[in-house]
Amino acid sequence: MSKSIASNPVEGIKAASNFLRGTLQESLLDGATGTITDSDTQLSKFHGIYQQDDRDVRENRRRQKLEPDHSFMIRARVPGGICTAQQWLVLDTIATTWANHSLRLTTRQAFQYHGVLKRDLKSSIRAINDSLMDTLAACGDVNRNVMCTALPELSKLHTQVYQAAAGVSEHLTPNTRAYHEIWLDQKKLTDTQDNEPIYGDVYLPRKFKIAFAIPPHNDVDVLAHCLGFIATSHDGTLTGFTITVGGGMGATHGDPTTYPRLAEELGWCRPEQVNQVAEAIVTIQRDFGNRESRRHARFKYTVEKLGVAWIREELERRLGYTIETAQPYVFTRSGDDFGWKQSDDGLAHLLLFTQNGRLADTEFATQLTGMREIARIHKGDFRLTPNQNVVIANVSESQIPVINALAAKHGLDSYKQLSKLRLHSIACVALPTCGQAMAEAERYLPGLIDKIEQQLEKHDLLDQAITIRMTGCPNGCARPYLAEIGLVGKAPGRFNLHLGAAFDGTRLNRVILDNANETEILAALENLFDEYSNNRNTGEYFGDYFIRSHQQSPAEESKNV
Amino acid sequence: MLSTLRIENSPFNEQQLKQLQSSIGALDPAQSQWLSGYLAGRLAGPITADSTPQVQANAVLTIIYASETGNSEGIANQLLASLEQQGFRTELLAADNFRPAGLRKLKNVVFIISTHGEGDPPDAALDLFEYLESESAPRLPELNYRVLALGDRSYPLFCEAGRKLDERLQALGASAFGQRVECDVDYTVNAQKTVDEIILYAKDRLAGDAQTAKPGALGAGHLSLVLNESRWSRTQPFAAEVGQIQRITGTDSDKDVYHIELALDDSELRYEAGDALGVWAKNDPELVSRILAALQIGPSEIIHCNHTDMTVSKALTDHLEITRLTSDTVLAYAKAGSQDDLEVFFSGLAPDQQQLFISQRQLADLVDAYPAQFPAQILVEMLRPLAPRSYSIASSQNIVDEAAHLTVATFNSNASGTNRQGVASGFLNQRLKPGQQVRVFLEPNRRFRLPENPETPIIMIAAGTGIAPFRAFLQELESRASNPDSWLIFGNPHLRTDFLYQREFLHWRNTGLLNRIDTAWSRDQAEKRYVQDVVREQAVLIDQWLQRGAHLYLCGSLQMGQAVLDALQAALAVQRGIDTVQAAALLSDLRREKRIKKDLY
Repeated sequence: MSKSIASNPVEGIKAASNFLRGTLQESLLDGATGTITDSDTQLSKFHGIYQQDDRDVRENRRRQKLEPDHSFMIRARVPGGICTAQQWLVLDTIATTWANHSLRLTTRQAFQYHGVLKRDLKSSIRAINDSLMDTLAACGDVNRNVMCTALPELSKLHTQVYQAAAGVSEHLTPNTRAYHEIWLDQKKLTDTQDNEPIYGDVYLPRKFKIAFAIPPHNDVDVLAHCLGFIATSHDGTLTGFTITVGGGMGATHGDPTTYPRLAEELGWCRPEQVNQVAEAIVTIQRDFGNRESRRHARFKYTVEKLGVAWIREELERRLGYTIETAQPYVFTRSGDDFGWKQSDDGLAHLLLFTQNGRLADTEFATQLTGMREIARIHKGDFRLTPNQNVVIANVSESQIPVINALAAKHGLDSYKQLSKLRLHSIACVALPTCGQAMAEAERYLPGLIDKIEQQLEKHDLLDQAITIRMTGCPNGCARPYLAEIGLVGKAPGRFNLHLGAAFDGTRLNRVILDNANETEILAALENLFDEYSNNRNTGEYFGDYFIRSHQQSPAEESKNV
Repeated sequence: MLSTLRIENSPFNEQQLKQLQSSIGALDPAQSQWLSGYLAGRLAGPITADSTPQVQANAVLTIIYASETGNSEGIANQLLASLEQQGFRTELLAADNFRPAGLRKLKNVVFIISTHGEGDPPDAALDLFEYLESESAPRLPELNYRVLALGDRSYPLFCEAGRKLDERLQALGASAFGQRVECDVDYTVNAQKTVDEIILYAKDRLAGDAQTAKPGALGAGHLSLVLNESRWSRTQPFAAEVGQIQRITGTDSDKDVYHIELALDDSELRYEAGDALGVWAKNDPELVSRILAALQIGPSEIIHCNHTDMTVSKALTDHLEITRLTSDTVLAYAKAGSQDDLEVFFSGLAPDQQQLFISQRQLADLVDAYPAQFPAQILVEMLRPLAPRSYSIASSQNIVDEAAHLTVATFNSNASGTNRQGVASGFLNQRLKPGQQVRVFLEPNRRFRLPENPETPIIMIAAGTGIAPFRAFLQELESRASNPDSWLIFGNPHLRTDFLYQREFLHWRNTGLLNRIDTAWSRDQAEKRYVQDVVREQAVLIDQWLQRGAHLYLCGSLQMGQAVLDALQAALAVQRGIDTVQAAALLSDLRREKRIKKDLY
């Protein structure tokens, strides 16, 4: 196993951390600051914790001679986004006790809290673990929350695929005892040494993302992940997975050596081979990923550099057996399909829209309370979708009216009235808490959509599903490069406008406007909507129309971010 | 400079050198200046050798002072200058620089002593009190004395230390050559009157003994130096321009604390870390209007105040105390307004209840609760003269140069549901604008200075705005080459909003100037937590630091100071395996050695 000598400082921090311990214990006890030390902020991510500050008040706090208003984001890892009603109630209690009274559903089917003060970290994390969830590896240079298509009508197939996803998640969870010592006050074991057989003591060069898709749904945007498993089935029974590698969203403004990339097909494996394949791919990235430059450290660059054929050869060498050729798949859509669905086992599932994944009680709707009340009476479970929405899953016939009533009472049934555009929108958190954000996203997109809706209404396009995604920076948390309308923040009030991605998540978009303000963005869209409403073919999606009419060739991707 | 004086390069022997170095090293710039003038004056003038200050037996009058804030010292210096001007050989002694047994040899002594906390004498007088109150205290039939006591009527047990001293001296057979004088916070008039009386007494009774020195013998040069120790004083304050007024508690904090920067340009005011600044504030004109309206007194009605005629409105705004009540004011108000209920009620209260009553109310609250009507002149006469407020300076001149920084919490009293502000904090934080002027004067606090030895470790314990002098200390250390071990223990309600000067203290910790910060955020967890809890938790470390010779500084409220001392006593008892009495003695020793230093209010 080759281990490169790394020059980037995070590699040094990991190496010196004694399996992710660092000085976190001491940092938590330091009552003079709401922060943990700089190197601990790198390590805390592996524990599912990001140090952030309210950027809106930074300048004022500086004048007040106070440190920035620091708090922490905690991410609970929930493979496939599935949790029980009991677990939901615990997550809700954490949100209302220690966090900022909101529960956020992420684009990776995880739960996220914001505004947790350092002094409340331990209580929050302990509560999550007490309810049999955890936050370990929710962030950091490890395998992240494993995603899985949320709502197939085929319940048997979903169960099988979900089990594979949960199995990989479990298999790739770090072994270190640091998490239990620091957050759960478990005793330091003196007789056993920490050992990370998969990750090694410096873990991966960068985060690693895995998704499982069940065609024809591509709600997980499977080609946006380092490693993808696309289910193949026969008569509703899982037969195996087509494996894809090398997808990823993140890029850096002004650096053409960084770019979003779609995954490529690698081969096909049987369900029982999934853990071995995933482990081998992860160790290939561990050994060959770039540890010099973090912005070039994702697996997509390793794949780009070494080629899919080489990766497959190396995979087979590590597995000790060959894998089969990829099997074809067909996706019809990305995004979510709202409302009630019935599955083959007779149970019903309600997919609800939550704008940008934020559940809170506001003057308009009491969605956080509503979900709590549903959780109190719900006998099934919950599923977070990859698009920041939530499914009330496995509802028996008799419970449907009760749940309908609660959803209506608390403004959770807005999917019935909202435009298709809004229902297909995603925004990342961005300002004021995310340290990466260069522009607004979550706080701005809803208002921008109001204005775009007026344009759509004018052109009679309100019923047309169009995906729109906004991020405050080019790192791509909301997968903006796979949106028909992608907006990537560059500076306050300024975005790059990307157009032309496929509605089914199989083609990236490209930059149309650089550093544009709202007026420029709306003007560009106005022209295109006008054309699109007049000239589109039957059933033609907005992204496809744009490529057909405005691009010489439907190029696979644009590296010009 | 002084430390380079050696036997070889000076006319002194080793012991003299040692004494010189330790005594001159402790002087502030004004004192050094005074001393140089004094020595020059002695060489130039016709003073005979037997008037050396060290030859105590030859002094006809001795002034012994003890204070925590420097007020006593100021009056003592004034008295000294006046007596010397009249030709009386006078000796000036700080109570902690003098062996109490020496009292037996003295014939005429003026004691100037302040009262602190719950009627306590200042630390400087601990030995003196212990000596006088012990069973072996000698009879003092030869001693003629007079006590000038300083205090603050808005605290319980006004001038208690002075009263105790007076009674004890009487009991030991000493004779007072005048009534004990009790001065409130505005002490200038009373103090001056007393100085005059003492001079009369000296002329009358001691003239025969004063032949060795003739009036004016010290020479004009010397005298002017003595009298103009600083151009600015309490009675002649400097008008400082306000630079910055910045709130430094977080937006959603319950505490309203401001950082205020004052320009001292051209004032030649030189202060040291630990000193305080006296601030003459003005009352809120709006509050004055409301009080006068409620009492149906016309604001432009002319009254007599401070020996001159002025409008009642001006008197209340600029000259009289309306935010701090005293028992006398309450009773006078009841009488003038024929408020028998108030009089009966208030007189019937136990002293501590009376104290609580007045500490929670201002004149405006009385006026609201007990509407009355009486002549303006009566109102003026029932009120105390407005006294300056004192703030520990939060800066070092080595860093901020011709400026002084203050840390001011808006003081609120809220007994009647109205939100009343303290005179100075309201003035500084709310009414003053940058560019305006505020009248200030220096209040040296020699008892709250960094250790003489630049390597001595320091433990700084503060709650709330008590952090101010420690910011000055750290700035001072930052400007020096030496870097003693230092430790800050700070408390306030919330970490997020109430760590005053957080960025600066964290910076000092990051750079290694400050070794350690421990905090007590009282409301950040279910159980309240205070700095004294940190003292208890860190008993081992505190003991280690003290064993290494650390000096321990306390700044904050009186209650906090007492709680920390109690916790410290208990902690030391446990650490050293001694009983409470021994631990108390240990603490007294530390205070006597000036290793526990307090700036409490």
